[in-house]
Parts: sequence; structure tokens; C-alpha cells
Amino acid sequence: MMNNCLIVHIPDKQPHDLHHQPTESVFASIIDPKHANQIVRRLNQIAPLEDLRHVKRIQKKVLEGGQIQLLVILCLVSEGNNQFDSMPSHLQELISSYQLSPFITKVCKYAATSKEEWHEQCKFWPTSYHPRTYNIDGITGFSEEDSQSVLKFMQSALELATSDGLVVNAAVIVDPSAKQIISSACDQIFVWNTCNDDSCSRKPELFCSHTIISGKCDSHETLHSNNSSNQLKQPYTSVSCLYPQQWAEHQSHSRSLYYFHPLRHAAMVAIESSAARDRCLFPGKENSEAKYLELDGENSSWTSSHAKRQKIACANGEYVEKLNAHSHTSDQPPARPYLCTGYDIYLVWEPCAMCAMALVHQRIRRIFYAFPNPNAGALGSVHRLQGEKSLNHHYAVFRVLLPEEALHRCYI
Amino acid sequence: MMTSPEILTFMDLAIQQAKLAMDALEVPVGCVIVEDGKVIASGRNRTTETRNATRHAEMEAIDVLLGQWQKNGLSMTEVSENFSNCSLYVTCEPCIMCASALSILGIKEVFYGCSNDKFGGCGSILSLHLSNTTPLNNSEVPPGKSFKCTGGIMASEAVLLFRTFYEQGNPNAPKPHRPLARQA
Repeated sequence: MMNNCLIVHIPDKQPHDLHHQPTESVFASIIDPKHANQIVRRLNQIAPLEDLRHVKRIQKKVLEGGQIQLLVILCLVSEGNNQFDSMPSHLQELISSYQLSPFITKVCKYAATSKEEWHEQCKFWPTSYHPRTYNIDGITGFSEEDSQSVLKFMQSALELATSDGLVVNAAVIVDPSAKQIISSACDQIFVWNTCNDDSCSRKPELFCSHTIISGKCDSHETLHSNNSSNQLKQPYTSVSCLYPQQWAEHQSHSRSLYYFHPLRHAAMVAIESSAARDRCLFPGKENSEAKYLELDGENSSWTSSHAKRQKIACANGEYVEKLNAHSHTSDQPPARPYLCTGYDIYLVWEPCAMCAMALVHQRIRRIFYAFPNPNAGALGSVHRLQGEKSLNHHYAVFRVLLPEEALHRCYI
Repeated sequence: MMTSPEILTFMDLAIQQAKLAMDALEVPVGCVIVEDGKVIASGRNRTTETRNATRHAEMEAIDVLLGQWQKNGLSMTEVSENFSNCSLYVTCEPCIMCASALSILGIKEVFYGCSNDKFGGCGSILSLHLSNTTPLNNSEVPPGKSFKCTGGIMASEAVLLFRTFYEQGNPNAPKPHRPLARQA
């Protein structure tokens, strides 16, 4: 049995200790409720709380006897200077004209990411809490059946990553509703130049010899882990997302024996294959991508009426066969997805910033990876793209802690 | 600071590429890559046509170069050396993906038009052009090289293209100033 795998959600933000929320000092004061409107309006002009939008400007306290007391935040306490006279002159005028008596108090520095956090925060000063507006399956946990499926797909990514003797990263894009693999690929930084046909380099064939690359890739690297904690001891220098710069270090002895492309990381190649599949399965349809607005997500008025019709020749009949096979079992033609909407990707290693952003662009729904990437990982290790609010698409990220047997299987 | 006429000339060529993208009903972003004062590659957005949202102008131009250089028999070391002599002129700030790619390739310098408040990887959201200066957990191999980056070159032209593109797609919008794609 190997169902003891753990799937850990990697949240949008580095979580804070619930009871040790980072705080910021502010000047506050009790105000007369009669003046609340005027004061807040004036404060928003002269001292807006730019980085503390989650903090409520006014706190309402009900005192004994039902009397209501209002407190307002005046401004941040500038670092190392907690004197009242350090406040800007506009504020000092406001203080004297309403006869306020400022005091220093603490508010929470970051917006709450959970209800529990929010409750803790309000003990300092009230904040607002906006629960995530999207809910992606798995964030709240996986059923036994779903984790089996996750493990199975991760297993195939792992096998792909080690299939050629040299350990590289591998990517498997999956349609979870049909439990079907859409495309899969390994890193293709180096590919044997066996033919000049353009389509050749697009096949997920791997560079598979150690002889033309000298140096750090000579040793056999296996997914060997010496302990049960999924900590990898070896450097795995051929994994492109771990060492994106590595390509430039290679001393090539022979020219034009192989094709190389420093940006063909597994995820990029898998996206390309899924796009090729889309063009083959759904040639010349009205483009739903015409709605694709890269820089202005709010503008939804773009219609597809002018969308360009395309003719794309399938390099081989593979996709068409798959389509036929599919329609054989079902009367309805498969619905055409917009890019990779609704699809998951399984990666052996946490992707670098290039790959992680590519997966945002291609609208991947969930990312599963097995090993973190402390050198260049963009989903929690170095950057955390899933928490970048400004992006027009957000995926959920999970780490799959593999059971020992799964790793042992990949010994070479 | 005055922008040199050379920079404006190259940015104008990038704008021409962006216009080609718009004519093909793509989000209008274009670029050129320059080595020793000469344009050696150009590219424009092809995300709609390819159904591959990673086919940004920069990626298109990079692929042209990699193809050419390898056809000419250049080794990896030589390709890496060549990129370190290249400047990119692009109408919009490179996104996080492209900025990261440019850092992996080790490009010398980037000039861009308007900034990219949602996806920008050269200062707006992340600063991948400074990748060498960020502390690394494991500093044996930096994930990328830093490159010089200058924004705001002919930004209003780049913004105008975006605006025209969105208006062109709106059936209720007034007739656009420039003709729609000249297709049969």
C-alpha cells in the first residue's frame, strides 16, 4: 500500500504565528462622535493609511452604561520617533482644533488570511477580513480517492523525470475531471539534433547522453533519499528550474550535434504541447481566446467576431485519434477549454519564476510539486506568485510528500 | 534626461512590431533585439494564434535568435556570450515570465515603453532584473543574471496601442482611427 502520501497546501502568504501577529505602532485618539465624519474625512486627505488598508480607521467601544466611545487612528508612528511633535503639521493642527489627546497603540501589520487570524487581530484594533473569493478543490483537504489520483499522476511525473538516466524536471498536465493526461514533458534544454524538421524538437524526447556534456552532469544522479523526510541531498544540477543559469556553464565540445534551448523547462514544453493539442483537436474554431485581455482584465467587451480563423496541420494523427476515441464513448463532443482552465500540473520540482508565471498565463488551476526549490522556486521558496494579488489569475499550490516506496521505485 | 535618438529609433521599430500584432488581433506588444547597433531579431505577441499564452513578443524574438545562432553552429558558450551583448527594446515592461527568461539568458540591457502594473517583472511586481543582488538561500549558483533596465521610452505610444486595441474589440465603441486587420 502506498496511500500514505501527504498533500500540503502552500498558502498565498507565509503564515504568521496566530498569537504573534506582526504589529505596527500608530498614534490614536478618542474623538467626539459628533466630529467623527469631519475628522475621518480630513485624516483620509492628510494622513491616508496606504499600507494598512485592512485596518479600520475608527474603533467603536461600548463603555459601561451603554455609552459609546469612538477612537480614531491618526497616523503611523515613524520609526525611532514616538514624540507627538514628530507628527506632520497638518495633523498637529487637527489635534489642537479638536482638542484630541493622542496616545500610542498597536495595529496588525498584515491583512488576516483566516478567520482565526482575524479574531486575534481584532484584539489589538479592529481590522477587516475578506475571505478568499475563489475556492479551489483541495485547499480544504483531499478525499481518499482524490489523493490516490494525485499520487498516481505525481508518480508518472517522477518516472518521466528519471526515465533517461539523468534526473531532470518533468511536468504532467492533467484534466482532473476526466482523469486524463493532456500533455507531459521533461526539461528540454538539450535535445539531440537528429533531424532538421521543426516538429522534431517539439517531441518530448530527451537529450539522453552524458558524453556531449562535460562537467557537473557526469555523475549518475538518482532520486535517492536517505531518509524518510523527502529531503534531497544531491544537487541535481540538470534540473533546469533548480539551476536556470546552468546552461551557460556547460562547455560544449562538439557543435551542432544537439539542439539546445535554455528556456525549454519542463513546464514550458508541457504548455506548448497542450497548446498544440488544442490546435489539433479544435482547429479553426472561433477563438475564445479573443477574450484574452492581457493588460486589462476589467475590460470584458472584446468580442470574438473578428477572431482569426486558422488552419493548423496536425503533425501526426495522434490527437485526432484521441478525439475520435473520445467521441466514440460519448455523444457530445468534448468541450473546448480556454487554454488550461480547469487543468492541473504535476511537477517534480517547484517551478522557477519563468515557469510559475507561464502557468499563470496559461490559466492552470492547481500545481502539485514533490520537492521544493530553495535556489529559484517561485511558489513559496524565493518568490510566492500565488500570493501576488495583481495577477489576473490565481492557482492553488500543493506539495506532495511522497511515500518512501514511490521514491524507491525511481532508483536508477 | 534626453533619450538618445538611437534608443527612440529602436523603440519605434518595436512599436511597428506591436502594430503587426494588433493587425493580427493580438494584444499589441512588440520588440526588437539589438546587437552592436543593429537589429538582429524582432518579435510580436502570438498568444491568440498559438493558443499558448507564453508566446509573448520577447519569447518570439529569443527563439528567432536561438534558431539562427545554432544554425550558424554557435556553441552554448558563444550563445551565452552573444546574449550578454544584446539589448532588448520592448513596448511594454516584460512580465515576470519574460523578465525571468531574460535574466536566465543573461541579456545586457532592456528598454521598455509603458510599465506593466499587473504582471511586470522589472520593478512593477517583482524585480527580476536585479536577481544577482537578492540574497539566496543557497548561493552557489545564482538563478539568473541582473540586467540594466530603463522604462518610459515612448510610453504614450505603447499605451495608445493598448487603448486602440480594446476599443477595436468593443462593438459599441466608435469606429477606430486605424483600420482593422487587412485580411481577405
